[in-house]
Amino acid sequence: MICCELSPRFWTDSVWSGFKILLALGFGMNVAALMSWVERKQSAVIQDRIGANRADILGFRFLGLFHILSDAIKMLTKEDFEPPAGIRPWHALAPIVSMACAALCLAALPFGDVIEFAGRTWSLVPIQLDYSVLYVLALLSIGVHGVVMAGWSSGSNYALLGGLRGAAQMISYEVAMLAILAGPLFLYGTLDLAQASRWQAHMIGGVLPAWGIFLQPLAFILFMTAGAAETKRAPFDLPEGEAEIVGYFVEYSGMKFGMFLTTDFLESIVLAGMATALFLGGWHVPGLSHLGLPQAVFALVGVAAFTTKLLAVLWLLMQIRWTLPRFRFDQLLDLGWKNVLPLALANLLVTAWAVTLLS
Amino acid sequence: MAKLVKFKLDGKDVEAPEGQLVIDAADKEGVEIPRYCYHPGLGNPGVCRLCVCEVAGAPKPQMSCRTTVKEGLVVSTNSPAAKRAQAASLEFHLANHPLDCPVCDRAGECELQDYYQGYGLYKSTVREDKRHKEKRKSIGPTVVLDQERCIQCTRCTRFLDNVTKTSEMGIFGRGDRSVVDVYPGMEVDNAYSGNIVDICPVGALTDKDFRFSVRVWYLDRAPSVCTGCARGCAIEVHTNTERPWHTEGRRVARLKPRFNPEVNGWWMCDEGRYSYKSADSDTRLKASSRLGQDGAPVETSPADAAKGIAAELTRLVAERGAQGLAFVLSGTLSNEDLFAAKALIAKLGVPAANVALAPGPEQLGEADDLLRRAEKVPNLEGARALGFDTARPLTELSPDRFWGVWAVDRAVPAGWDKLPFTVWQGPNAVRFTGAARWVLAAAHCFEEDATAANFQGRLQRLRQAVPPLGDSQPDWAWFGSVLRALGGEFPHQDAASIFAALTAEEPAFRGLAFELPDEGVLLAASQPAGAAA
Amino acid sequence: MKPVLDKHRVAAVRRPEMGFKEQIYLVEVWKGLAITSRHFFVNLYRHVQKALGRAGLAGAVTTQYPEDGQVTKHRSRTRHRLLKREDGTPRCVACMLCETVCPAKCIYIKAEESPDVMIEKRAKSFSIDLGLCVFCGYCVEACPEDAIRMDSQYIQFPGSTRKDLIWDMPELMGDKPKAPSMETPKDPLSPGAE
Repeated sequence: MICCELSPRFWTDSVWSGFKILLALGFGMNVAALMSWVERKQSAVIQDRIGANRADILGFRFLGLFHILSDAIKMLTKEDFEPPAGIRPWHALAPIVSMACAALCLAALPFGDVIEFAGRTWSLVPIQLDYSVLYVLALLSIGVHGVVMAGWSSGSNYALLGGLRGAAQMISYEVAMLAILAGPLFLYGTLDLAQASRWQAHMIGGVLPAWGIFLQPLAFILFMTAGAAETKRAPFDLPEGEAEIVGYFVEYSGMKFGMFLTTDFLESIVLAGMATALFLGGWHVPGLSHLGLPQAVFALVGVAAFTTKLLAVLWLLMQIRWTLPRFRFDQLLDLGWKNVLPLALANLLVTAWAVTLLS
Repeated sequence: MAKLVKFKLDGKDVEAPEGQLVIDAADKEGVEIPRYCYHPGLGNPGVCRLCVCEVAGAPKPQMSCRTTVKEGLVVSTNSPAAKRAQAASLEFHLANHPLDCPVCDRAGECELQDYYQGYGLYKSTVREDKRHKEKRKSIGPTVVLDQERCIQCTRCTRFLDNVTKTSEMGIFGRGDRSVVDVYPGMEVDNAYSGNIVDICPVGALTDKDFRFSVRVWYLDRAPSVCTGCARGCAIEVHTNTERPWHTEGRRVARLKPRFNPEVNGWWMCDEGRYSYKSADSDTRLKASSRLGQDGAPVETSPADAAKGIAAELTRLVAERGAQGLAFVLSGTLSNEDLFAAKALIAKLGVPAANVALAPGPEQLGEADDLLRRAEKVPNLEGARALGFDTARPLTELSPDRFWGVWAVDRAVPAGWDKLPFTVWQGPNAVRFTGAARWVLAAAHCFEEDATAANFQGRLQRLRQAVPPLGDSQPDWAWFGSVLRALGGEFPHQDAASIFAALTAEEPAFRGLAFELPDEGVLLAASQPAGAAA
Repeated sequence: MKPVLDKHRVAAVRRPEMGFKEQIYLVEVWKGLAITSRHFFVNLYRHVQKALGRAGLAGAVTTQYPEDGQVTKHRSRTRHRLLKREDGTPRCVACMLCETVCPAKCIYIKAEESPDVMIEKRAKSFSIDLGLCVFCGYCVEACPEDAIRMDSQYIQFPGSTRKDLIWDMPELMGDKPKAPSMETPKDPLSPGAE
């Protein structure tokens, strides 16, 4: 039997990986839920308002955090509407595809480096892949299917338009995204997010951390642009342009709608994680290595650093979402194909030239 | 018919019989002349002077209700002089009118309001205080009088003098002190008292029953037929469905007579007028039921009831024969209902002698020469035309011979309720209802489209004013669904489709369309009433 | 012939041309982010100061309803008031004109015979569903008896159920207070909180 031939190491690795995946998923889902609160409160603070604060438990309101709970209860108890003209199995499957793809991406985020313990190294990346960038991009591409499926199976013209918009937008920026990432990846010489983080953990001239944002500033800006477009959030929220077509989820209600909502937040988290790993040095904290901390503490501080950076990027994404008005659809595609993609290719050329020259 | 002459009406060449009143000729031409005292059913006393028009050659405006048509007459109803005369006359009418429209029930259908908008629109020159007279005087069981609002058109007194010939009211006093009132010691308590409210052009006479319940502009109207007696007066059903709180949830707010020269003219009796309450009364059956094991009724859906009845009928007919089943039908059933009943009776094989349709004692009542008929059911002639024996009373059948009875909208005497199979079907519960094994909730006559033939054999259309209450459904739907459950053919889903089948199969109805004219149609085989027996 | 445009003095407004700075977009994005971020951090600082019990400007311009009290000017003509005669009886004669004219269909009146023969008709019940009311004031316009006004200077009628928003005759006449059924907030971000 094949299981007998597997080493004990395989089993510990499996359990450890499963544990990390659960942690990553828990982290993602909780942050996604919190983001629905952040969305309301951050926009409120930006706009000199207070924001949702009425949901309470026993009269205690706790800054409106219970709205997350009341939203969840509402979505779970709402009528599960199925459009009469819809195509039933696909209609039910679409939010699952969307959300599953986004949630699976979480497993590839490099939350930390490695810990030496019990005579072996324990990686803090939920699943170790040599090609985790491709893994994430592939899953995000599959996520488009959820959007198109939702639009098509709803049996509504508005939903269909939303789905088509989503497909056009996400595929356009998918291409750009690969071109953008090619530059820094070329520099790091790896497709592994953890490896890329590790690469950035040194200082240039002893003062400037060798983070992607400093070495590849153009790629960072382009990545944030394409990332915002990937998540379908403002200013790129055309697939859900509520004023004109409502969106591909117009025929969804209850938790199915909630899954689409969560998908957007999860994708934001994944994008923020990628930005952190590729441009912000991952778990790297400048100067920390000089303190001589125990190796385990060092790794755990790294996890905290990664998380903090991720949340900071999320804050920035949210800030952009509440600052910029929505593009027109032709502007959106123009931006993608005529500006972002050429700039990304130029960046790749320059990077390749520089890397070749310097090595 | 007098000979036709040509005359000019508002510059138009018009033909009318010589000697006809100009106001009637104008009505026929669609030229509206304002009037208060003139009523085609009550004559033309010429007291209101509102219908004045200009007649060429006459030095002063002439009353169109007193001027007759002759060759070469030139009449103008809308010339400046005529309009000035009408407005002046109207101002005179309104000189002492209190203008308490906010509390007046007539507001909204008041001819003073309409004519002021249409023909008045003057600025009042009357500066004197208005005359104050008695308000809110009860002059009978149904009518309240407000003397201040009265414009002394005398329509009510003429109605009581000429139509009912009871003469309870008169005009008292002179000049602006003249009032309309009842004679001392009398009150308007005849069987047609409600009509004086209808003909009153202002709010001087109001109906106690309708008073303050709902404003008239909230009402929806459906032309229908009164089912109170064999006369079948043409009526309008006024319903209040959008604002139910005004009528305490009653949907039908009142009935008004509708002009039908062949049946009721302009009038209807009080008995019929106030019969509408049965449509929303507490006795209305909203759901069908079956007697349970413990003797208490169990609510059933219409489909289950039809299936259950069909199953019991199949078993009992097979065991004990169809001659043991009696049908107690009623003249309240429409032709469509009876057509379906006939099909069901034929399917079951029940002999014609087992069907009792003659009005029961509770369906007989007072009659008079004017409108009211003794048989208080609307469709005996229709039943006769459909081949039912309308003379056989229920008393001819003895409950001993039967194992079952299907009674429709009738009180059935004791003795019948002990049978193993009893069905009672109708809109309102009666004594027999509680004892029946099956109780089927039927739609009220205001809730269905139907046809009924009155005692003259005149077929008239009933139109749905409100949807059936609760789970109730038209009688034909009950007969039809049981017939279908027994395996019979009954493809009809509405009354129009049944009527189409009826015109094809029944010789008396041949060639008729469901959308009957307003005054109805005489049935082909109709003979004078009473010949049936 | 003179062009029509001249007569009406039409001014042609040109869309501002976008220069290179605007076209690369990033500068403008940066400016926008700077503004929103300034608001974000300044307001956050003020909220925190408030939460710590320090004096200072409020972090939000929001007024919490209904806890913060009157939010409209005192001359506002909004919530209905039923007027009384000198003897204290309601002026309303239940003519149903307000009920008829109401575009929101939020007025419900039942009529009855008045014991006073000169008044003849009066309202048995008169209620307004303020949850449906659009405050158009047509009822005031329509009333022939000056029985209803919207000059209560007051638009506050909080309720936590729809039923709380239905006011009956004594409440509209001011004979019976309508007790607000909302609790006070415990949100530190709320300017009205203690």
